[in-house]
Amino acid sequence: MDQLPKVRDFMKKLLALRQDTRPFTDTSSFFLSGRLSSVDAVELVVFLEEEFGTDFAEIGFDQAKIDSIEAIKSLLQAARVPK
Amino acid sequence: MSANISAAPQEVAPQGLRRLADFRLVPRIDTYPVVVSFAQTVVGKLVLLVLFGLGLAYTEANWLPLLLCLALITFVPGRRRVLVTVSTLIFTFVVPWWYFANPPSEVALLLLVLTLAALLFWCATLWPRSWYGRRPVFFLLCGFSLLIVIASYLPRDTTSYTLVWDFTYAFAKYIWFVCYFLLDRNAPECDSFGLQLGSFRPFWGSTNTPYPKGAAYLRRIEAHDIHQLAVTQLKGLKLLAWSIVIMLFGRLFGFCVYDYLHIPKFPQALSLSANLTPLPWYLCWASLLAGFLESIISLSSFGHRIIAICRVAGFNALRNTYRPLSSRTIAEFFNRYFFYFKELLVDVFFYPFFLRYFKKNRKLRLVGAIFAAACFGNAFYHFVRDLGTIQRLGLRRALVSYQVYVFYCLVLATAISISQLRHRKPAQPGFIRGQLWSSFLVLLFYCLLQVFDSTERSYPLMEHFRFLAHLLNLKL
Repeated sequence: MDQLPKVRDFMKKLLALRQDTRPFTDTSSFFLSGRLSSVDAVELVVFLEEEFGTDFAEIGFDQAKIDSIEAIKSLLQAARVPK
Repeated sequence: MSANISAAPQEVAPQGLRRLADFRLVPRIDTYPVVVSFAQTVVGKLVLLVLFGLGLAYTEANWLPLLLCLALITFVPGRRRVLVTVSTLIFTFVVPWWYFANPPSEVALLLLVLTLAALLFWCATLWPRSWYGRRPVFFLLCGFSLLIVIASYLPRDTTSYTLVWDFTYAFAKYIWFVCYFLLDRNAPECDSFGLQLGSFRPFWGSTNTPYPKGAAYLRRIEAHDIHQLAVTQLKGLKLLAWSIVIMLFGRLFGFCVYDYLHIPKFPQALSLSANLTPLPWYLCWASLLAGFLESIISLSSFGHRIIAICRVAGFNALRNTYRPLSSRTIAEFFNRYFFYFKELLVDVFFYPFFLRYFKKNRKLRLVGAIFAAACFGNAFYHFVRDLGTIQRLGLRRALVSYQVYVFYCLVLATAISISQLRHRKPAQPGFIRGQLWSSFLVLLFYCLLQVFDSTERSYPLMEHFRFLAHLLNLKL
């Protein structure tokens, strides 16, 4: 999926702003593990809206849906499926 | 596809500094493989529970029933969620039975509240596209506000007055738990009402703020195998030990500051200022600083104890307070100081606003959502929490006397908005420029804001400004 490098890069920057230098994988938890806070979730929401046109008001917001790269991948795939 | 990405190159710190940074007053037992393996055995679990019980006996009045519930959950992990519900019901109806003023009536009220919660949830799931189904939390909060208005205007000394107020008090204890319950309605793996009940003032303790959030959060942080359970329980034991250390430090701090140095408590210093006999400016500062540190110490100790019990029950919840003194921004302190209260404001007020309004204007959207949470949500939470004041003063006078806390919320929301709007930069190099100076400014802000962090309504706003002026050696 070609969006993932962009998402990974964004997460890397977000973690760096929090002085978190630990590595992460596609299944690493960002929010439930406490590595990122809901303040950071806002930045991620705006990024996903602007970059991929995701409408959280429509699909419903849940931090678990953006908790890992894998979760974001599923979210983006689900958002692209026409209803 | 999986990629292992390093966020930034690791800095090489001097060995001495690294050792100092690695030092832990409470050892990281959850990272010792031998201890983790031992905690998975029957004997290990018993030892862990005994040690935890000793800590609980020192800090909790109802430590024995609490320990029995934890033992049951530890040895029957397959039925954890059901046992959490059973334990919660025991701590709701059985343990406090002797403290109820009128047990049958209080039990009936609690049952009524829980039935109403189930009814609200059922309606929201039955008619998801209706006006109520799309915004059940908004409807709930409006309905509760209306209930307070009705209760306030009922004639006193009547049966309906007593009944409505009794119900309002009972419902107020559960309203934020019901909010999380309603927010969980669209989750694909949403729990049954029976399991949800376990998160309504759970047996490990809470205030009106749900620790740790609702059933949806519990599902995600639950230990799924014996290794995760052992690590989570060891983290719980470690956190309880840390809570006791902080509590003892708090007692020592209180003795040194208030008994030995005779620094007056903040309410006393404020009272003297309001009576136009203020303390010298440096004592006002000392009193304010002591009150600020004391509030951090007591909230940390209290929150750690609750989360420790929750962890031993098998849920790897995040701490409520996590290194607030190291916060580099105002928003970060708000997040680190009282995590679950901030999460409640974010889930109930921030996101509903942020995801719906001003989507074309990024700054306005962010500021609006911050004001919805940190200002309106914060003020609303504390106003409906202090029902006794509303009943005593009447609704109009209670609203007018709430001016100090409303001002506090306005300043807090403005500061968080500015903090969030400023472009976040990586930390400056060096400990003093990168960490100490930023943290000092953040703590100074919150310390000064503490002057207005008052829901007691003892003095009008002007008296709080007068105290602020005394801090600067000015007279108002």
